[in-house]
Formats: sequence, C-alpha cells, structure tokens
Amino acid sequence: MKNKKALITGITGQDGAYLAEFLLGKGYEVHGIKRRASSFNTTRIDHLYRDPHEEKVRFFLHHGDMTDSSSIIHIIQKVQPDEIYNLAAQSHVAVSFEEPEYTANSDALGPLRVLEAIRILGLEKKVRFYQASTSELFGEVQEVPQRESTPFYPRSPYAVAKLYAYWITINYREAYGIYACNGILFNHESPVRGENFVTRKITRALVRIKLGLQDNLYLGNLDAKRDWGHAKDYVEMQWLMLQQAKPEDFVIATGVQHSVRDFVNIAARELDIVITWNGSGLDERGYDKSGKCIVLVDPRYFRPTEVETLLGDASNAKEKLGWTPKISFDELVKEMVSVDFKEAQRDELMKNNGYQVNTPYE
Amino acid sequence: MNEKNPCALITGISGQDGTYLAELLLRKNYKIIGITRNIETTKEKLPFELKNRIDLVSWDFTNQQKIIDILLDNHPDEIYNFAAYSSGVGMYDNPIDISKINGLSVTLILEAIRLIDPDIRFCQASSSEMYGYIEDSPQSELTRFKPRSPYGAAKLYAHAMIEIYRQQYGLFACSAILFNHESPRRGLEFVTRKITHGAAMIKLGQEKKLHLGNLEACRDWGYAGDYVYAMSLMVSHSEAGDYVVATEKIHSVRDFCKIAFNHLGLNYLDYIHVDKSICRPSEPYQLVGNSNKAERTLGWVPKINFKELVCMMVDSDMQTLSKKYLK
Repeated sequence: MKNKKALITGITGQDGAYLAEFLLGKGYEVHGIKRRASSFNTTRIDHLYRDPHEEKVRFFLHHGDMTDSSSIIHIIQKVQPDEIYNLAAQSHVAVSFEEPEYTANSDALGPLRVLEAIRILGLEKKVRFYQASTSELFGEVQEVPQRESTPFYPRSPYAVAKLYAYWITINYREAYGIYACNGILFNHESPVRGENFVTRKITRALVRIKLGLQDNLYLGNLDAKRDWGHAKDYVEMQWLMLQQAKPEDFVIATGVQHSVRDFVNIAARELDIVITWNGSGLDERGYDKSGKCIVLVDPRYFRPTEVETLLGDASNAKEKLGWTPKISFDELVKEMVSVDFKEAQRDELMKNNGYQVNTPYE
Repeated sequence: MNEKNPCALITGISGQDGTYLAELLLRKNYKIIGITRNIETTKEKLPFELKNRIDLVSWDFTNQQKIIDILLDNHPDEIYNFAAYSSGVGMYDNPIDISKINGLSVTLILEAIRLIDPDIRFCQASSSEMYGYIEDSPQSELTRFKPRSPYGAAKLYAHAMIEIYRQQYGLFACSAILFNHESPRRGLEFVTRKITHGAAMIKLGQEKKLHLGNLEACRDWGYAGDYVYAMSLMVSHSEAGDYVVATEKIHSVRDFCKIAFNHLGLNYLDYIHVDKSICRPSEPYQLVGNSNKAERTLGWVPKINFKELVCMMVDSDMQTLSKKYLK
C-alpha cells in the first residue's frame, strides 16, 4: 500500500514537531507548512529534516501562511493529503489582547481557509481534517471538570477566535460531509514548548538560577490552575481522532490539576532547590535555602481577564479512542528541567570560556 | 447652554435596519454619519427623505486605520453596527468575506473605540442565527449558542468579542440579539418580502404562482422599526448589556402566506408552489425569543403585531407595484 500523506500546518511549533515525528514513525509522508521568516524558525524539526535531494525522503516543507488563502489552496492541491492537521495559530493568550485582528485572521479564518480549500478542490471525501481546539474555550468554567458537553465561556480574543474555528469545523462536517473534528486539548507542554509559555519559562529560569546565569524568575498569577499533559502523548490522540469510523470532537486532558506555584515547586525540587513562599498577592515571593529571593510576582504577566482554573475530563476519549496519557506530570517536569539544564550548561561553558551568552527574555 | 447635538455613526446605513434607525435618531435631532463601502450606490439606495440629511463616509470594513480616522474626524457619541452579509440564502456563500465583515470588522470598531474614545457607546446587531442547534425554547441571553452556518459563527465571534471588550476595557458595548425582523424595506431575497411582493404581483395579474421552500418553517417575526428602537434604548441605558429582542410568538411561513393573501382577498393555496430545491441546508428548527430582559430593564415591548406587520408589508408592495403596473 502507498504511504498515507499528512499535511501539518504549524509544523514548526511544539505539536507540529511531535506530530511529524510520530507520523513519520507510522510510515506517513509528512508535509508541513511554515511561514517564511528572515531567521530560521525550524529548530524543533531540524532533526527530522533531510535534504530533499537524498533518496526516500518522506518529510517536506512548504512556505505558506494561514492568512493567505491562495498559498493554502496551492499547497493542498499539490500535496493531495489524506489528512490535514491544523495546528497553526497565534497561540499566546496575552498576545491576543495586543493583536486581536491578527489572532482572528490566523486562528479563526485560518481553519476556514483550509476547509474552503478542501471544498474548492473537491477533496471533501478524501481529506480528513483535524482542528486544534483548546481548553481556553471553557474560560470562566461553567462546570468542573470540563468535558465535551460543558458550555464555552471564552475570556480572550484567542479563545473567541478558537471558538469560531470550533464551530466552523462542525459546520463543514455537517454541511459538506467532510471528516472534520475538534480536539479540545488542555494545556500540553514539553521541552520544546515556546519559551514565553509559563511552564517553559519556569524550567528555563530555574536551571539558569541554579547555574548562576540568572537571578530571578518573575511570574504572573501563581494560583492559576491548569491540567498539564505532555505534548508527545497528545499528538498521538490527534492522529487517533482521524482514524475513527465517524468524526467526533474530543476533550483531551490528564484529569489532574496543578497550580503554577506547584509547578515551580516540583521543577525546583528536580534541581534540589527548596522554595519557601512568603507574603501574598503581588508581594508573594519564593526564597531558596540561603534566603535569597528567586521568585517574584510581576503584574505585567497577569492576564487581562484571568482564567483561574481548568481541569479536563477525557473519559470519552478514553472510552472511544482507547487513549490515556502515558507520561505523568512529574515525568513531564523532570524532562523539561533536564533538557533545559543541559542547554544552560552549554551556556555556562561558553560563558566560562569567554564567549558572550545572551538569554532571550520577553 | 448650547449643547451640541449627539452624533451617531451607523454602518449598513442603506439597509432595512440602518434606515429605520436613522429616521428614529433624526427625529431626536441626532447628527447621522452613515458608513458604507460605496458612497455612490448607497446614495442611490437611501430613501429620498434621508438622502440629504445623512453624511456618508466610506470604509471597506477590513482596514483598521480607516475606522480610526473616521472616529477621529467625526467624534461620534454612539456607533450602531448593522453592516453585514445578511442571513438567509447565501449564508454559505463567500464564507471568508462573510466572516470578515460580520465578525472581524466588529473587533476593528471596538479597537478603534478603545484607542480613540472609550466613552463612545456601541451597539451590535447580533442575530438569533447564533443559536443554531437549538436545545431549548424559547431562547434568552443565557441560552447556549451553537451556530450552524458561517454567518452564525461570525456573528457569535462578534458577540463574544463585545463581552471581552466590555469586561476587559470597560467599554459601553451592547449586543442586541435580534430575532427575525421584517418590514416593507426587507430585501426580496427574504421569504417574508418574497411572499408579500409575490402576493401583490399575483393580485395585479403580473404573476401566476409563487415558489417557496418549506411552508412549515417557523420563526419569531417582529417589525424592524420596533427592533431598532430597542437598540436605541440599550445605548441610552445606564449600563451596557446583551439583550434578546423578539416578539416571543411563533408563526409558520404558511401562516404568513395565509394572512398576506387573505389581505388581498385571495386564497394562498391557489398560488403557492413548494419547491424543495430552495430549502436552505441545515435549517434550524424552532427559533423563538424570550425578551423578558429587554422588557424588564429597558421597558421595551414590540408595538406592531404579526398580522399588522404582514398587512403593512402587503399594502406597501401593493402601493409600489400598482404605480408601476396600473397606469
């Protein structure tokens, strides 16, 4: 049998990289869409990439943009994929308040452009479509835990754009019979999570504090609670959703919740740092054993309209897809810390040998 | 004290709702600025009495800078947003344009208000199409939205963004969840006007049959003039909010036909031809609004009932078409 072909938007992101690796392992020919940028933006997939001049290459990249219909139509026409995974998005909640128009154009209209391309090219019966929906749809949660039937209450331009995408996906399934489904994924992290997401920000900062490359870690709401899983687990489920007899929307979550403060404590523990917390609200601080203040609160990182708590119930996915997460929260944190630690050690080595080391912040 | 007359900016000025609201606000001595994509075609469409009393400015509904400039130039006190690809037939055509105009343009207006003058009051013409897959009846502000068309999804996007801007930035922004609202100015592509126009044409001997889709489809139909009045009440209220605007009564297309043809002394059964091909896909089955909140908070109730509405539309079509055909 011929290899199946998958097209992944957002190939350069965390999920895109894990999914590409997973699908290549399943024998797929994998095509990814990436934006053209003046600097390379492929570090997460460089280990998968082969020079296209080599033989038996199964991984290809195409330049395209979710805000540009014609680029999307051309790529889908050329690739003729069996499965499309729409992972591309402006995925940062706080940024969506600063760039609401762009967020809507890429996160709401982007998936519509893909669905329209499927329809225009007459691929409704051939292509299966996965939309990366999000637990942010639940926002101000209407019940605990959140499942497929829980009402949505979006609290950010990001969530509102994703809400549109959720409905347009269902709409194209019903109106045109396209195999299209939403994966309502709760937070999922990994060592290649974007550096400006809170989990990665924490692990990166703590290892650098440990090695003396950095003094403090500034955070927003320490009490925010999230259901954190591992991206590697979650991409498997994205694939499973497209292998069913009938398309359906699924909540994907671990069913376990931790606060941002918990995350800091557990990550610190991996580095043999014991944090003592003092004060409350804006004045809350975390001190190490020697009494040095290492964690502080900066209101700059508060979300304009805070989503306090998210906790998912993935029973439906467990029952119908036979899926349960394999990687525990502690293992996730441990892996993130250990990868970031190696990176920081490299920086330390360079610094000690007289090379300049810059730590990018946001 | 010589207080300046209030200024209202209305998008979709040449449409049914835009013209009714403009007339209402002109009676209250507002200065009206109409926003439109094409000034020349809008001038042609505007009723004669409005033409010289409204200033028109153009905006393509996708350019952020231009709407900022319009607010800077005109300093409006209120903005009413009616500009949209309308519902009904065509809700599935041009989904990207529909979503830009019906959805994203609202974010551009809200951003402009936030930047230029956060005291500007905003009212959005939202739609009962946002309910889509209906789970319980009647629908209120608290009923879940499950849109089933690009039109409904885009309107829901705008509705949800209004709440974000209200909560986050304290803007005075309202979403008026309007159930179907009709009038003699309704476009001919809508079933109500199609019926009254068709009945009048038959009465005048210009047509023999009227082709319709599903006669049993039911709607909560009100009068557009009443609905824009509700929106003006929302904007002058002390607090911004979302309100369902509806009659709370449900009628079928068949009821509508019966009254319209009866009004002309005809029996609808002799003229209606049911055509399956013009039934729209994924039809929502029963929409009826609960406008308690508007009544309680704004003191709003519809003044024109269903029968009056149908007869008003038939009379208007008869008047216009008689002039044309009975010379």
